[in-house]
Amino acid sequence: MALAPPPARRRRRHATGGPAWVPYAYLLPHAVLFVVFIVYPVAFGVYVSLHRWNILSDVQRYVGLEFYARLVTPGTPQFAFFWKTMGNTALFTAITVPALLLSALGLALLLDRPIPGRAFFRAVFFLPTILAVSVMGLTWRWMFENQTGLVNILLDLIPFTQAMPFLTNVGWAWVPIVVGTIWWTVGFNMILYGAALAAIPRVYYEAAMIDGAGAWAQFRHITWPQLNPVTLFALVTTTIASFQLFGQPHVITSGGPLRTTQSVMMFITEEAFSNFQFASAAAMSVFFGLLLLLVTGLQFRMTLRDLGRGVR
Amino acid sequence: MMMRRTLAALLTAALLSAAAAQVELTYWHGFTGPDMPLMEQLIAEFNAQHPDIVVKAEAIPWGNLWQQLEPSVAAGRAPDVVAVNEDVVTGFILRGALAPMTPDALAAADIDPDRFFGPLWDTGVVDGVAYAVPVHSVMVVMYYNKALFAAAGLDPDAPPTTRDGYLAAARALTTDTAGRHPGDAGFDANALATWAAGIVSPWMGGTVAYAFTAQNGVTFVDGADAGYAPNFDSPAAQEMVQFLVDLVDVHQVSPKNATEGSEIDAFRQGKAAMNFNGVWMLSQYAEQPGLDFGVAAIPQFGSERFATWGGSSHLAMPVQRRPDAAKQAAAMTFIGWLTQPEQNLFWTAAGGLPTQPEVAASEGYASNPMSALGESMEGTFVLTGFPFLAQFRGAWDAAYEAALLGDKPVAQALADGVAEAASRIADGLQSLPPR
Repeated sequence: MALAPPPARRRRRHATGGPAWVPYAYLLPHAVLFVVFIVYPVAFGVYVSLHRWNILSDVQRYVGLEFYARLVTPGTPQFAFFWKTMGNTALFTAITVPALLLSALGLALLLDRPIPGRAFFRAVFFLPTILAVSVMGLTWRWMFENQTGLVNILLDLIPFTQAMPFLTNVGWAWVPIVVGTIWWTVGFNMILYGAALAAIPRVYYEAAMIDGAGAWAQFRHITWPQLNPVTLFALVTTTIASFQLFGQPHVITSGGPLRTTQSVMMFITEEAFSNFQFASAAAMSVFFGLLLLLVTGLQFRMTLRDLGRGVR
Repeated sequence: MMMRRTLAALLTAALLSAAAAQVELTYWHGFTGPDMPLMEQLIAEFNAQHPDIVVKAEAIPWGNLWQQLEPSVAAGRAPDVVAVNEDVVTGFILRGALAPMTPDALAAADIDPDRFFGPLWDTGVVDGVAYAVPVHSVMVVMYYNKALFAAAGLDPDAPPTTRDGYLAAARALTTDTAGRHPGDAGFDANALATWAAGIVSPWMGGTVAYAFTAQNGVTFVDGADAGYAPNFDSPAAQEMVQFLVDLVDVHQVSPKNATEGSEIDAFRQGKAAMNFNGVWMLSQYAEQPGLDFGVAAIPQFGSERFATWGGSSHLAMPVQRRPDAAKQAAAMTFIGWLTQPEQNLFWTAAGGLPTQPEVAASEGYASNPMSALGESMEGTFVLTGFPFLAQFRGAWDAAYEAALLGDKPVAQALADGVAEAASRIADGLQSLPPR
């Protein structure tokens, strides 16, 4: 009885000493999932992209980098469609990422003040985020329908504006997609910004006010730098999400008119599951993944530099 | 005591033999809409009538089913029976995912090829060998608003059937907000109050244009002997696409920039007098209060034949890694039973068309509004028979859209479309296994 060590000490010895493999045991569950669902599929995708892949065939002919070469060889259908849809996707990203960050920040700033019904408005702006993309897409398609959509009926009623065939007009077809996307996803970044705003110590503002700083100066020199980590996170996640655009144009415009709203993900899916060109689709996925990695890396570098400056 | 034991032994033996003789079949299909309860009823009835077979059905949305079918065959986990659609069946056959059905096996399952509509049966045939039996059929039809016909002085029971008839009716049915018709002085094509039918953008627009272009004798893609060369830039194809574009720009009997959605709305609101869409729209239009409409075959704009777009579902047997004769026989029994006239008639209540003339002409079908289509069912021109349907269809839709929206002249649009389809089909040919 008296020989038994006190339980507290036993626990401490376990936590500090213990066999060397213990930390790895804790890492194992995630590592297994990561290998099974990320590493293996990516490696298999690379393997598929190097063969003329027919899933039912016993032998898969090795073609090396043929499908990658096509992506950089003008005149192949892969070159034409990959870069066209890549351009479409880049355009969408260039428009929506700033719009989504600014609108989320704006809403978060508005809701940072102690106004009545603050929680209600937060909930309202966040609510669309929980919708399935098909529901969101059908709603906005219906709103922007040529001739019979609500937006066009309103445009007809308002003096000096005219109905606009959004869904079949090159360029304007992006409007329902972009507006729908902002409405659908702004809530998430708004919550991030809201939490970050609440975490900024009030003493900074008090000190700034004593120094005579106005509202803009306070925003520019306190709020914005303090939000930098959140902005980096939101910028990276929103950019990746925008590049992966699929459901909104799929439902709202079906990629039309004239394939101007077809995203690169839509084309890869078409190549794999409509055209049954798995190797070509796998090569494009790998290529696209590397591009995305590059963009994310650049963003990190640029914003980390800013971040350092902000703290100093 | 003795008797009870014997009874128990007998019961056990009976149960055992029943279990041994009972074949379990898995069946994948994509009838996930309002047609699902009807499919489930049919399967329950089959199971009740066939104590030796148990069919276990799994409803999977079509798109997911196409993605899963080939991997399941490759992994040796394919279902025993699968429903496949007209646009993918040939590809699955040529890539080796579906098992052939011998004439003996067909006969044993009471499946008579001559019982079905010809084009429908041929959809499941490659090189004279049957792989799939039609179970479901749809087509593009013309819905027309009887009240608007009567108001325009047209016979509400005789919708147009020819190009000239259509143009005459269309002019009478199209009015601007001041009551003027196309061709009248001051007619404003940008302020239509009512119109004939919107010529819509793809996908539906490409489907309807496909149907009318087929009426000019166009086959879109040559046969296997010609390497599946696309041919939809022929003068006959140009003529029809030009006519459809002209319905908007020259004849002014369609609004500009119509979409499938805007035309469905306009038909329900009584603005569009006619609507070209699939038979599946019937229930939506029937539910529209105050809409008095009829259903007819689409008019014949082409000079060669009557044709309309048809879609269909077919029952087939995926290739098994370890073929089991008992399961195959049971699968054929199930396929045979589900495609009999009686079951087909029951199935048409879900919105599909009969797969066989006998059902179309039957008394039981006479009360179905689609029975008005009558002989046009024979003229269904099914977009099928070659393995690169998606490759063709994407290029066709893009070409037609470019012509319709005025992005390119018709001849240029179709020539570009043929070039695109040819390069994509060449791609596809390379990854097809040798036959």
